[in-house]
Amino acid sequence: MPRLPNTSPQTLSVLELLLESPRSWHYGYALSQLTGLKSGTLYPILLRLADQGWLETRWTEPEQPGRPPRHTYRLTGEGAKAARTKLAEAAPSRMTRRLAFVPGSR
Amino acid sequence: MQMHGFLGRLADVLARQLLSWLRRRVEPGSREWLDALTAESECADDGWQRLRWALGGVPLVWTINERRQLNEPGRGTMRALIVRGVANIAAIAGGFAVIIPATDLATDFFRCHLLFGSQPGGCQEHPFVFASIAIGGAVLGMIIALALRARFAAYWWAVCSVFNTVGSVWYLRSGIVDLPRYGATQSAMLMAATFGVVLAANSVGAPASFLSRHRIAAHLIAGTISFVMADFLIRMRDRHVVADNVNHYAVLGCAMFAAILAGLIDRHGSPKWRPV
Repeated sequence: MPRLPNTSPQTLSVLELLLESPRSWHYGYALSQLTGLKSGTLYPILLRLADQGWLETRWTEPEQPGRPPRHTYRLTGEGAKAARTKLAEAAPSRMTRRLAFVPGSR
Repeated sequence: MQMHGFLGRLADVLARQLLSWLRRRVEPGSREWLDALTAESECADDGWQRLRWALGGVPLVWTINERRQLNEPGRGTMRALIVRGVANIAAIAGGFAVIIPATDLATDFFRCHLLFGSQPGGCQEHPFVFASIAIGGAVLGMIIALALRARFAAYWWAVCSVFNTVGSVWYLRSGIVDLPRYGATQSAMLMAATFGVVLAANSVGAPASFLSRHRIAAHLIAGTISFVMADFLIRMRDRHVVADNVNHYAVLGCAMFAAILAGLIDRHGSPKWRPV
């Protein structure tokens, strides 16, 4: 059975992080550090979320001269609402998955 | 410590080269996300971290190109699939519509039979006539396919043209000495021609790659690999009986000729020619 869109653990962890401060702009590198996702996993997720209208993107001026402009991200209103729904739906299964990794929980 | 520093710098150079190479793999209008990943690579603390970050560009480029292809207007729709299928079938049928009646007419006219081997009264007694029909039909099929922009059919007839041309030259030069040799060489020739077309079509089709910029090198590489693959496969079939009897010049000729022909078809097809 095909998985529903935006329900993978990786996507949910990105959504969870973005929801912590939905009106702030986030950098890709910081998102990668905080979620533990590699760039090759994170960026296709961000691209897909932006395509679906869940994420808005913006180029910002570099903080140091000589550096390229940086791409930043934040959830749209629709994206934040949808992310909350997805996280609420996935909460029981995510909890089970986490418990499965606790030593002695089996 | 010095070694560690050297390796770190090497990783840094590799990361930048990889990102630059990946950038060339994406069309200018679709580079936003790769540029975003590249800009963030400046945040990495050392060369190794930057290289790990840059490696993430590979799946990203894959995703970007896949999405671009899916979003091309008209691509993948049922109507486009049907039109493309009909064009290909018409182009393949067009070539056979010439070859089959022409062969029948020739056998009637020369009062011979479609026999292969060294039997008397077979079509091999008029090699120029039947070779002309086979080659002419395949070339005509290829022209029809190109006119209809049916790329699959064009490659199909390219394989047939190569096989018929090299096979005819080989037959006219040496004749059929014995059937196992004839059959084994034909199998290898057909394999080499097919591999040559497929490899050349794929190698030069990738946007902004080394092979797409150096087309002659791409054709030579595709032809060489096709020859090696066909030779390897024919050797696997029956090492003692078959492999030693195969005419390797004919196989090599098929592989190279097929790769060049496929490259010409691809050249005709890009960038303005869009197959239906």
